[in-house]
Amino acid sequence: MELVETDLGATLSTLLGLAWLIPLGSFVAILFFGPKMGPHGRNSAWVATGAIGTSFVLSLFAFGNWMVTHPPVSGHHGDDHGVSEEAGHDDHAAWDVQDRAGKTPASFVNFAEEHGEAASDGHADEHGDDHAEAHAADGHAEHHDDHGHGEHAAEKIAYSGDWYRLYSSPSLVLSIGWYIDSLTVFLFVMVTFIATCIHVYASGYMHDELHDITDHEVTLASGEHLHRPGRFPRFFQALSLFCFSMLGIVIAGNLAMVFMFWELVGICSWFLIGFYFERKSASTAANKAFIVNRVGDFGMLIGLMALWGALGTLHFGDSVSVDADGHQVVQPGLFSLVRPAENGHALQVPDGMVVAAAANRVGDIASVVSPEEARAVVEEQVSGWRARGYGNWLLVIAGLGIFCGCMGKSAQVPLHVWLPDAMEGPTPVSALVHSATMVAAGVYLTGRFYPVLSPDVLVVIAYIGAITLFIAATIALVCTDIKRVLAYSTVSQLGYMMLALGLGGWVAGLFHLVTHAFFKSLLFMCSGSVIHACHTNDMRRMGGLLKKMPYTGWTMLVGCLAIIGAGIPFSLGGLHIGLSGYYSKDAILAQALVYSRVNESHALLWYAAAGGAAMTAFYMFRLWFMTFLGEPRDEHVAEHVHESPAVMTAPLVVLAVMAVIAGWSIGPLGVAALLEQARPLGTAAGMTGGGLLTAAVTVPAEAASHAPEVHVYATWVAFATASSGVLLAAVFYVWRLINPGLIATTLRPVYTFLENKWYFDEIYEWIFVKPAHGVAMLASANDRGIIDSILHLVAWASRQLAAVDAWVDRVVVDGVVNTLASVTWSSGLRLRDLQTGRLRQYVMFIVVGTVAIFLLASMMLSTTVASP
Amino acid sequence: MNLLSDPVGVSHYLVVGALLFTTGVVCMVVKRNALGVLMGIELVLNGANVNFVAFGSPVLRGEQASLLGLDGQAMALFVILLAAAEAAVALAITLNFYNNHATVDVDRADDLKG
Amino acid sequence: MMQALVATHTLLAAGSPGINWHGFFFLLFALLACGLALAVVLADNVVRMAFYLVLSLGATAGLFFLAGAEFVGAMQLMIYVGGTLVLLIFGVMLTAQEPFVAIRTSTRDKVLAGVVGGALLAVLLQAALTGPAWSGHTAVDASAGVSQPTATPLGMALVGVRVDGDVASGQPSPVDGQVRSGYLLPFEIVSVHLLVVLVGAAYLARTKRRKSSASVRDEALTGVVR
Repeated sequence: MELVETDLGATLSTLLGLAWLIPLGSFVAILFFGPKMGPHGRNSAWVATGAIGTSFVLSLFAFGNWMVTHPPVSGHHGDDHGVSEEAGHDDHAAWDVQDRAGKTPASFVNFAEEHGEAASDGHADEHGDDHAEAHAADGHAEHHDDHGHGEHAAEKIAYSGDWYRLYSSPSLVLSIGWYIDSLTVFLFVMVTFIATCIHVYASGYMHDELHDITDHEVTLASGEHLHRPGRFPRFFQALSLFCFSMLGIVIAGNLAMVFMFWELVGICSWFLIGFYFERKSASTAANKAFIVNRVGDFGMLIGLMALWGALGTLHFGDSVSVDADGHQVVQPGLFSLVRPAENGHALQVPDGMVVAAAANRVGDIASVVSPEEARAVVEEQVSGWRARGYGNWLLVIAGLGIFCGCMGKSAQVPLHVWLPDAMEGPTPVSALVHSATMVAAGVYLTGRFYPVLSPDVLVVIAYIGAITLFIAATIALVCTDIKRVLAYSTVSQLGYMMLALGLGGWVAGLFHLVTHAFFKSLLFMCSGSVIHACHTNDMRRMGGLLKKMPYTGWTMLVGCLAIIGAGIPFSLGGLHIGLSGYYSKDAILAQALVYSRVNESHALLWYAAAGGAAMTAFYMFRLWFMTFLGEPRDEHVAEHVHESPAVMTAPLVVLAVMAVIAGWSIGPLGVAALLEQARPLGTAAGMTGGGLLTAAVTVPAEAASHAPEVHVYATWVAFATASSGVLLAAVFYVWRLINPGLIATTLRPVYTFLENKWYFDEIYEWIFVKPAHGVAMLASANDRGIIDSILHLVAWASRQLAAVDAWVDRVVVDGVVNTLASVTWSSGLRLRDLQTGRLRQYVMFIVVGTVAIFLLASMMLSTTVASP
Repeated sequence: MNLLSDPVGVSHYLVVGALLFTTGVVCMVVKRNALGVLMGIELVLNGANVNFVAFGSPVLRGEQASLLGLDGQAMALFVILLAAAEAAVALAITLNFYNNHATVDVDRADDLKG
Repeated sequence: MMQALVATHTLLAAGSPGINWHGFFFLLFALLACGLALAVVLADNVVRMAFYLVLSLGATAGLFFLAGAEFVGAMQLMIYVGGTLVLLIFGVMLTAQEPFVAIRTSTRDKVLAGVVGGALLAVLLQAALTGPAWSGHTAVDASAGVSQPTATPLGMALVGVRVDGDVASGQPSPVDGQVRSGYLLPFEIVSVHLLVVLVGAAYLARTKRRKSSASVRDEALTGVVR
């Protein structure tokens, strides 16, 4: 068993590692040889598409390997949607599977007892007098006991390891490594699949870039439009790099690596948003996205520092190494530290953080006794300190810091402002980067990091998510730019995901992440197809396109239905039938309902989620009705409309199919069950805690939301809100019973407020940009007025000194040298007369010289002789 | 001392050598013909040779040992050899000069004039 | 002629009182050598100059015999008179075209040369006559004039074996043990030198194929193209 699992880990890491690196190869190839790939680099599209397609195939292999080795046991999601009546029975089946896998029931019983107590205690304290509310959670705990603790028995299967160690020291190991569980494998399949579709789509969408382009949105100083060569290869180069970075985040085995690829994703986003960088709006949007993300990343850095400083590791999973004696040494990773197995995988502040927080006390001890003794004393004291709350804040700060990065990447309020502007990029970019994958990275990381998040942090996440979904949905109500509607809808849906995670709905949040990726990329590509046909983003100039663009229109309808969560709200022969969004959104709403019942003071979250569902339905169908139904509003636009080529519509159809079926589960096979496999250890049972940022809260177990009583109610609420939203949209835009303009006029202040996106940009302008400009002006004045004048003075003095020096040079130094030269020259001139070139004269000179020397010598000798 | 009355000694030879040498030098100075200059050089070498032989002669100093002994004669031999070599090269140069300038007048060979 | 001279020398050595034959022959050869050298200077015709030179060198060879350096004298005759001058005469004949047979020198030059030459001669004579080592009476006793022929020791010395006397003592050196170097190495050097010089001279004097300027230009052009 052990051996097989190790083998699978190696296989998966190889397959996924290859799938991860192939886009990098494509990037490098296009970077160096892009322009040489066919006319205008046409073939670079094939290189990039081939690379990501190969990655997809490899990911599928990995997925198949996983499914064969670890077939998903039918989890709660699977039964609830598939065969809800037989939930109990299926749980038995699941437990049977685990029994066969050879686990020791005894140990699980222990967990069950501890855990059951913990859960009961929590309820007794918080909701002792509210039996109705507590019932769900208690029932869940009992359920565990009855079934031999099935949740815990479904022990999480994850592989981790390092490919390469970048840097290694006792206090820090930086490595390129992997952490693979079913979430990783499934996200690989999803990301590569959507990316492949979008690559194919983009090779059609970007064909304008194959030749020279006149950009009508850029007017040069001369009054002409910008004329520039096409940049086809560059687009695919950036797409490849982006895929590489995104897959790097997903496979990363430690937070440092996540951070590296996090930044790479950021820079790719910058490249792609600013693809039309000649347009001021595009370059501004790119910078905005980059800078806003930096704000989030600053928080993330703080989180990283808190983790590293206190715990000394950034690895997710445990890493096994062999020490000098040949013993295996297990270096616990973050998850094991925060949720140690001895504690039944319940959250506890890790020793490192307790000690770091109690630094003063440790110092006191160390000042009294020797270091070895001090260590022992500290180890004794740790649990006492932990009970007194040391280190709680550090854990909260670490969680909030990491979440801060996720906020930036996933466009949560107040860092959401960049995402709508990012629609300046080409539409395939919007589809891939800003709906399906990059913004999903934040949700993914929150999900991956989930075990470390304390209840306080989860409350913050939930509120941020709720606020985001509400604000974004309200703005989307009044947008007229088709892509901006989708952008705000993306923000809103990301808010849903964060909300779900914050409420304890781990599977629900990530499930929605997956389904959303499918239908949102579909919606974006449909909008791209529309824009491609109409050459405008303004919905007010569209209308009646359904006849001319049937593929686009119908697939977009599928996308709209999926995003509002359309489905039959009651069981048909034991089956719940609906589009993918139906399952995931219902799971979120059910979780919100459970949460609001357990924590009555946070009921607002439930109302926000339900209201958001209504608004989602309204604005999505407003978009669809305005675009595809009714009469054309702009003849000029309607004339030229045509269906997009097959290379663009084919991915639409494929994605539409996926948007329908992504949420389905057949027997035990389904996304939810698969995600259930990846559920972090110890998070199934819910927890109680908090008290630092808010009053103590109880995060309910996710299983509680599968109780029929909760789930049916949530489903009906979702159905009611969604259909009311669609009906309202139809009233406004199809039957035209009410003129939307009239409403806008009547509610002028509200409308203006929404139209200006809650004045976020203006507020930021006044709070951050203007003061920054002011400080910059002060600094500039300081530079110019004071520093420059000092410099000018110094420069002037230098010039004067140099002038004196130049005079000395010219007159004295040059004079000496010139004199020497002229003397040499003139003496040479004179001496050349001696060189007559006459041989006989030379002989004469020799003779005369000899005689002269002789005479001279004899005279000298005679004087020498005479002198004494 | 009287050269004419004294028995022949080193000094006599030295006088002859001096005369030959001086004649050679004057020959070199006055001859414009390159071959004449060459002959002057031969005379100069010859004068020097006379001195060498005189200093190395076993006869001229009687009971006294000669100044150089066999070395003087060997040196004279080498000088003769070198003179032959020099004559060959000089003649080749002269012929070259003649080929290039169509004359053997050394006064015309002033290309290196300063 | 050489044998005659050797015979004369032997005769002299045998000694016949009355006429100092040694002095006589010395005077004869000295006058011949100097007079003919002077004739070389004074002659205008290059062919005559060559002829006088031959005679002058021959007379010098006679002086060498008188000094007891038979081998050097023989070499003087063979190499100088026989070799070098033949070479010179070849040169004369090769260049002896009408305008160059007699190139006149200006009188001013001749006078200047005379003055300078006279000064040089004065210096040299002064040195020759006043040198302390050789001035004074160094008479050759006619009876003691018999000296060993120097050809054999010289020849032995040239192949590296010295059998002559020590320079300082004048005594024949004991052959046993004492190592005195001969002239083998200088001899070899000189011979190689001679060979090189002859090759060089042949190279310098070879007939050159004059290239036409056009072909030179063509070659330069093709060189550039290549």
